[in-house]
Amino acid sequence: MKVKVTDELLFDNLLFNVKKPARYLGTEWNSIHKNWDENPVRMVFIYPDLYEVGMSHLGLTILYGLINDRPGMLMERAFAPGPDLEKLLRENNLPLFSLESHRPLIDFDVVGFTLQYEMSYTTILNVLDLAGIPLIASEREINHPLVIGGGPGAANPEPIAPFFDCFLLGDGEEALPEFLTSIDKLKKEGKFNNRKELLTYLAKIPGIYVPSLYDVKYNSEGTVEKVIPLEKNIPERIIKRVVPDLDDIYFPTKPIVPYLDVIHDRIMLEVMRGCSHGCRFCQAGAIYRPVRERDVAVLLRQAQELVRNTGHEEISLTSLSTADYSKVEDLARNLAAAHSEKGVSVSLPSLRVDAFSVRLAESIQKVRKSTLTFAPEAGSQRLRDVINKGVNEEDILTATYEAFKAGWHGIKLYFMLGLPTEKEEDLLGIVDLAERILEQGRKLSRGKKPTVTVNVSSFVPKAQTAFQWEPQDEIEVIKSKQKLLRSKLRKPGLKFNWHEPEVSFIEAVLARGDRRLAPTIMEAWKLGAKLEGWSEFFNFDYWKTAFEKTGIDPAFYANRRRDVKEVFPWEHLDFGVSKKYLKREYQRALDGQITEDCRSGRCIGCGVCSALGVDMVLKGGPQGSAVTD
Amino acid sequence: MRLRIKYSKRGRMAFLGHLEMLRLWQRAMRRANLPLAYSSGFNPHPRIAFGSALAVGIESLAEYMDVELTQEIDIEIFRNKLQRELPEGLQLLLVCPIPTKSPALTYVINTAAYKTIWLEKPNKDLLHNKIEKLLAQSSIEITRRGKSGIKKKDIRPGIFNLNISPELDLEMLLQCSSTGSVRPEEVLKALDFDVPAKFIRTGLFIKKDDSLIPPENIAVNMGKVELSEQRNINSG
Repeated sequence: MKVKVTDELLFDNLLFNVKKPARYLGTEWNSIHKNWDENPVRMVFIYPDLYEVGMSHLGLTILYGLINDRPGMLMERAFAPGPDLEKLLRENNLPLFSLESHRPLIDFDVVGFTLQYEMSYTTILNVLDLAGIPLIASEREINHPLVIGGGPGAANPEPIAPFFDCFLLGDGEEALPEFLTSIDKLKKEGKFNNRKELLTYLAKIPGIYVPSLYDVKYNSEGTVEKVIPLEKNIPERIIKRVVPDLDDIYFPTKPIVPYLDVIHDRIMLEVMRGCSHGCRFCQAGAIYRPVRERDVAVLLRQAQELVRNTGHEEISLTSLSTADYSKVEDLARNLAAAHSEKGVSVSLPSLRVDAFSVRLAESIQKVRKSTLTFAPEAGSQRLRDVINKGVNEEDILTATYEAFKAGWHGIKLYFMLGLPTEKEEDLLGIVDLAERILEQGRKLSRGKKPTVTVNVSSFVPKAQTAFQWEPQDEIEVIKSKQKLLRSKLRKPGLKFNWHEPEVSFIEAVLARGDRRLAPTIMEAWKLGAKLEGWSEFFNFDYWKTAFEKTGIDPAFYANRRRDVKEVFPWEHLDFGVSKKYLKREYQRALDGQITEDCRSGRCIGCGVCSALGVDMVLKGGPQGSAVTD
Repeated sequence: MRLRIKYSKRGRMAFLGHLEMLRLWQRAMRRANLPLAYSSGFNPHPRIAFGSALAVGIESLAEYMDVELTQEIDIEIFRNKLQRELPEGLQLLLVCPIPTKSPALTYVINTAAYKTIWLEKPNKDLLHNKIEKLLAQSSIEITRRGKSGIKKKDIRPGIFNLNISPELDLEMLLQCSSTGSVRPEEVLKALDFDVPAKFIRTGLFIKKDDSLIPPENIAVNMGKVELSEQRNINSG
């Protein structure tokens, strides 16, 4: 049995021997330390990465405030420890602890992980191991915490399903308190003593998926035949939770102010949830539908409280595509008027590719960074239509024109390589575009030399998207495409960045994987894989060995084109977007046909609104009305 | 208006580095709604200047910073408003106005006092002997790992005094200035005294010949200071 990390041990010893000890203090401004004994339902929220990454996550901020606001419940935080602290914990047989009370994670009723990216899966296992919690859900006893997961990874959690007791699909603001209330009830009724019974009960909460209550049958060629509930009363399909109106829902105005320089060290004001563009590669665009905007008056009040309660110097207008927000100019102008005098600036996290966005950025971003970033995603118009990016060359060139004219001299462009139907001319289109923008910059930017940075990631087909049937390019193909771009972009003023193809390959395996991958993930972790979002920690050899040892052909998952009739491992997880719609979008992509943004008023029949009984919420723009699929 | 602030940094706050403290003070002052003066330029920053940097892990009873305000403010109001926005472990000890043209803290401070917090009980006689032996040396060479590799340094000129308190704490008076500093852990290592310890900074001074002047004394001369926190430090 592991002992507790006492304050004495931590503050007189351990923290003197680690880098950035401020990661582990737990006493940041606005951190909440609720009384353990007075709050019988206790959850620890874990972001399976380092503190600086995890503390930049809005989901943590929201749920932390939400749960701690409720009597009888408490939520604390934990992150993956730095390798130096991990070493000390392991050497001294000490358990990983929560930040607030420095208690072992095993003391909590619920251990909740956010699933933000596939490359965090080995870190989840590492955290469970450091906590002394059995990695496999079926090996946990009644006194072990319930291990739950949520976030975008829940769109297909199958590869990690054997490690989790439950998953929560969709928005957590209503579902998580319901979940914890049920646990409270079960504890009080003394029904917390049979894990199977407990899970069967929890599986009836809408949006809660208990993977152990479902059996997966496979076809002889290795694909999924069906996923079936093992018991009566267990839903065949689990439907994601959705908050219908963001104005009515809790939003924290006393978020934790970290001591450390975290990645997003600013106020995150969530102006809306969801995105209506319908880019066919984008998982977030599919699983967070429909678009729900917040009211300007609500946002102004929240911003005022946030500035007062944090002392932050920057308000970031957060969403998947903030320039789309109906009242964005109105909001930005009012925020600037209210806060600029105290040195608080307003910023946009990303820009839509058009002149409007640039002018918006110019008008509000008083604190000027030298570089402006756009994501055309593909180099040719044909391919941009295939992915339904909804951006044409004129949009791009007028956006960069406006940017240079306004005084920015660095342009960063995001592209994807290996998109469906991609040919060499599409790649050369990236080079052509970059060169034309650089030329434009040379004519327009005064004084400083313009630079164009071309960032090319590799396409990873994702579950619940129109491209879920598509193969990923093989590693060698990706490498040769990168080589082509590298050779063509080797010019003064141009800079080329690319992603490790091996990382994208593992992402592609996991993103559309099934439960048979769990032993592989476990093996990779045993070999040493952890913190794989950091290039210095990623080691492809761990995975190659793990695939071999567990008899898995990774190409089956990453590089195989799925038949349109194939049953997916995530078939039973319903995010509202219908498979019929995704199939139609897939076909339209292959035909090079674009589909309009439903914000314009014409419903595209994705099925979300009718399936979930909600509607798009726009504040002033045209209101779309849903048609049934 | 320019204010000189003396504060203590205790407990967990010892683990915050210089940049973290800067961010913390900026945000606390903004939350307190104080009339901070900002630097001009594209990225305006509040005009806050610190005394000598304190190594991470060391607590302190005497840290200093100067802050510039755009308007006059009652000292007590300033102190109360700011103290409310500070985490446990940071205590404002003294706030006093100083002439706007006063030299910067880093320019005048040249001496720091530290004492040990022993994590195990030390042997007094052994410690006493080791101190005598060390002080008898005319030079004490140590190595420091810097960005440009390993460097050798003689720390003996920077050790102004060593003393054992009645509670058996080792009290040190060390050079601490922009031209060079001696760190308490270097002294302990040079003593070759093998008892684990934490350190606490007990004072920062302007050393002139044999007298030690605390940085707030600039203001004493102006007749505007609270004298409640004046402390006697062993000056040897």
